[in-house]
Amino acid sequence: MKKLNVRFIAFLWTLLALAAAVQAITAQQPAISANTDVQPPVGKDSVKFLVIGDSGTGDRAQNETGAQMWRAHAVFPYEFAIMLGDNLYGAERPQDFANKFERPYKPMLDANIPFYAALGNHDDPNQRYYKYFGMGGKRFYTFQKKDVRFFVLDSNYMDKDQQRWLEEELSKSNSKWKIAYFHHPIYSSGGRHGSEIDLRTIVEPLFIKYGLNVVFAGHEHFYERLKPQHGINYFTAGGSAKLRGGDIIVNSGLTAKGFDTEQSFMVVEIDGDVLRFQTISRRGKRVDSGEIRRGQTS
Amino acid sequence: MLKLHSASIALVVLFAACGKADTAEPPAKTAVSAAAPVTPAAPAPAVAASTEQGVNPVGAAVLEFKKRIDAYLKIHNDAEGKVPNLKKTDDPKEISDREKALGEMIMTLRAGAKPGDIFAPEYQPYFIKIVQDDIKARPVADRKALVAELPKNVKVDINTVYPTTLPLETFPPALLRKLPDLPPELEYRIVGRSLILRDVKANLIVDVLRDVVPTIPS
Repeated sequence: MKKLNVRFIAFLWTLLALAAAVQAITAQQPAISANTDVQPPVGKDSVKFLVIGDSGTGDRAQNETGAQMWRAHAVFPYEFAIMLGDNLYGAERPQDFANKFERPYKPMLDANIPFYAALGNHDDPNQRYYKYFGMGGKRFYTFQKKDVRFFVLDSNYMDKDQQRWLEEELSKSNSKWKIAYFHHPIYSSGGRHGSEIDLRTIVEPLFIKYGLNVVFAGHEHFYERLKPQHGINYFTAGGSAKLRGGDIIVNSGLTAKGFDTEQSFMVVEIDGDVLRFQTISRRGKRVDSGEIRRGQTS
Repeated sequence: MLKLHSASIALVVLFAACGKADTAEPPAKTAVSAAAPVTPAAPAPAVAASTEQGVNPVGAAVLEFKKRIDAYLKIHNDAEGKVPNLKKTDDPKEISDREKALGEMIMTLRAGAKPGDIFAPEYQPYFIKIVQDDIKARPVADRKALVAELPKNVKVDINTVYPTTLPLETFPPALLRKLPDLPPELEYRIVGRSLILRDVKANLIVDVLRDVVPTIPS
């Protein structure tokens, strides 16, 4: 009888501990709002796009943030999406493409919104053959949307071929706006990773020489708008599913605005000489916004 | 420290010089047929040549490395010809099936492959020196950050698939500049303390050079 009582008490304790754990986990997960703070675009014929980084988990965070992206689309009808790498974490079996990409972003895919992906360190380079990543079979590539030229780099492996290609493409582009995006941030206040100085020494001189305007990167699982560096605006948006809460080093001297308490994504509009950006959290809150004038820094 | 820097610079200059000389070579096809063996043979007389007076040992290492790379490429191309071509697809299964088929075909064609088939044993010290000099020349924080990012406790072996759940950690661009160029079919990667050669399309480990990355105390 005594033995039975002890077992019963132990069972009750286990239940209590489980309930506490579930409560703790639930508390960390934001309640998803049906509303969004996203503001509509200003320009009529502007280039409008979505920015996603470090998204391929297939978990609840990705799905809820994905749902929020689609809500944002109702207000801010972006025409395409850029992906900053780590498009698929872990295994890359056919079902993983479904769970970690096709399902969370189904409404966008159904609406024929094209995606243009960069490769992250968790991505098999053979993702470049996957049609919905828009890479055309290339590790690094470029594409044009009206006045904007995008340069998509493979920062995992910045070999001489890629450097030559980048310089050639930058030099021949006379687009009004030049935007580069890739996985590893060359400026970052992340405690876990920080700035990729090695990569910076190679690409930054080219960015400066050929008048690049804006750079987007991921890798760090948070949002950070950096103070402009040598006239170039840098954003890190690697928290569209993964989150490394509290990782931004507050006194790095680099941050203009940081957000590391919830998943996020960006919507961006380029309207003539102005780029307007909004950063939206998983809950639909606008956590940062602003505008950049071409030739000026934010 | 100054000595180390000078050594690195000297090596870089030597490699650069070799790279320039290489561009004057006949087209790759001729080089491949000249390299002949499908499974890279035992090192050529380059060893003896490299010790001869007036012969640049680094240049010899690079040339021998290129020869072996060309021999590997011949196998890779043979294998590619035997599996279906890969085009843009919306079916990820086609991508993984093709990667697997190509990997298996190469594994079969290189059934007797062993470590050092491409990183020739007598020239391994050059590769090790390049990597170690690069890492040692970095500031401590940078060095630690680099090493902290590398996949650890993973056993990698020649002629096996690179573990699909393992991140392909960034290869330090400055180090990449110091190593001999590779064709697009191949890339260098660091896993744990090993420098590996990876076939990009087949996701296959082509050769492994162990104990290259110095241990960095945390």
